[in-house]
Amino acid sequence: MGSHAAGSDPATPLWRAAQVFRLLSCVYALGFQIAVNDDLERPAVGWALFAVLVSWSVACAAAYLHGYGRRMAWVGAEVVVVVGLMLSTEIVASDQWALDNQSWPTTLWATNATISAAILLGPVAGMAAGLLVTASNAVLKGYVSVDVGRNATVVIELAVGLAIGLAAQTARRAHAELQRAARLAATLEERERLSREVHDGAIQVLALVARRGREIGGPTTELAELAGEQERVLRRWVSSAGSPAPVGLSADLVTLLRRRAADRVSVSLPPEPVLLPAEVAREVDAAVANALDNVAAHAGADANAFILVEDLDDAVVVSIRDDGPGIEAGRLEEAVGEGRVGVSKSIVGRLNWLGGTARLTTGPEGGTEWELTIPRSR
Amino acid sequence: MVVDDHPIWRDAVARDLAEEGFTVVATADGVGSAGRRAAVVTPDVVVMDMRLSDGSGAAATAEVLTVSPSSRVLVLSASDERDDVLEAVKAGATGYLVKSASKHELADAVRATGEGRAVFTPGLAGLVLGEYRRMARSPRGDDSTPSLTERETEILRHVAKGLTAKQIAERLSLSHRTVENHVQATFRKLQVANRVELARYAIEHGLDE
Repeated sequence: MGSHAAGSDPATPLWRAAQVFRLLSCVYALGFQIAVNDDLERPAVGWALFAVLVSWSVACAAAYLHGYGRRMAWVGAEVVVVVGLMLSTEIVASDQWALDNQSWPTTLWATNATISAAILLGPVAGMAAGLLVTASNAVLKGYVSVDVGRNATVVIELAVGLAIGLAAQTARRAHAELQRAARLAATLEERERLSREVHDGAIQVLALVARRGREIGGPTTELAELAGEQERVLRRWVSSAGSPAPVGLSADLVTLLRRRAADRVSVSLPPEPVLLPAEVAREVDAAVANALDNVAAHAGADANAFILVEDLDDAVVVSIRDDGPGIEAGRLEEAVGEGRVGVSKSIVGRLNWLGGTARLTTGPEGGTEWELTIPRSR
Repeated sequence: MVVDDHPIWRDAVARDLAEEGFTVVATADGVGSAGRRAAVVTPDVVVMDMRLSDGSGAAATAEVLTVSPSSRVLVLSASDERDDVLEAVKAGATGYLVKSASKHELADAVRATGEGRAVFTPGLAGLVLGEYRRMARSPRGDDSTPSLTERETEILRHVAKGLTAKQIAERLSLSHRTVENHVQATFRKLQVANRVELARYAIEHGLDE
């Protein structure tokens, strides 16, 4: 438990550095103790309390280094012990001595409590602990020193609490960021790996089943089409696994229209994404779907459809052609009657709404072709 | 010669070609093995998959054409490997067929490739068209950037919309062969531009050090 806390705690280096400071502050306290011992009212009690100071310091250093002390209860106890030892100046020394000197176990050593609180709980708690240490000092002397020019204790305590608290906070945040990044990288890697597996395994077999099935013909064709459809679905999944999600409000028309590919629908796309505002791309996709429905309903069961997307910078052109029988000259009225132009109206309507145009033509060798032009404002 | 990293496909394609009367002189599963074997057997036609065990089909195309310049490369790939197909064409492939094509379509495509004709699909035409437009937009564009003639653009658009070479020829009152030549020219210009780009890159990045 303790070693676990020490191992994953991003503030560990700070805890270690703090224990070095603790050692130095103990040495300083020892020197001070030797220097002032003769002036104390009760030197024996002073030495006894100094022994408490040293044992407590050793206990703290061990607890923080191993990690089991890095919690509220321990740090709280440290603050209490520090304040208690400072207040003991009342017992070991005269009021006059207390007024003339820094508090007995030395302010430097007392700062350890501020540091521990700052590392564990951040800048606010660090500064609060610093204020508490300063307040004990003030209680001893019987007055609050407002002259920070002569007595900088409060400033130092606050500064230490703030600086070390911020350092600990930064370390923890950086650590959390790093962990999130590592998790994300692991997820992406796993996806990539899965994509490769699926691509090399299932997709290849489905593609082969589809191809052989079509060759054999008859009822097997149906199986071939099912396999082909699943192959396409898997391929889309695999190719989208590696690509980032659409950015902001634009959508890639290439990604959208690639989904329209099917056994009888060929989709020709440029090599680069064609970015359009998301709602525009959606409308274009819907218009293409209308056109494909039209093909399926009127161009005959054997008709193939071909989609071509072209990015002309100031406009995007999407063509949907079929190789069905087409509309013979003079039969347009009939076509209207058949509802063939009813769907057309919704295509034209969508494109008008986008500020573009939709043109329906029919070629000499049959087939119909929609040309959708979507202007782009750059 | 058949290059595919998936054994089931490699065997199926090789068997189909043998049944159609072709001699499969070698098979390979990666860029390295394709290069080594092509150097030995100098195949007339290489049927190339796009995803190989140790690299891309485009890399293998470049490798094969380096060791066996008289070979012709027909890409046999799935439709999702679009960018790779474009790279393969830039590396010198002269044909592209989707894996869903039937045995007979495959045989026809191999025959055409062997005769030095371009084999293309609507999807490839869309890619090539888009690539020329991308290059025209690129800030690095200068006089050496290849561009399409009006006729070539017109023909590529028709191909991309699924018209066959014969239909396009009728529509534009050209011969079937002329249409194919135009498409082939658009491929070749991409290859040349790619070579120029590679050379420029080499000069800028240390060959002159």
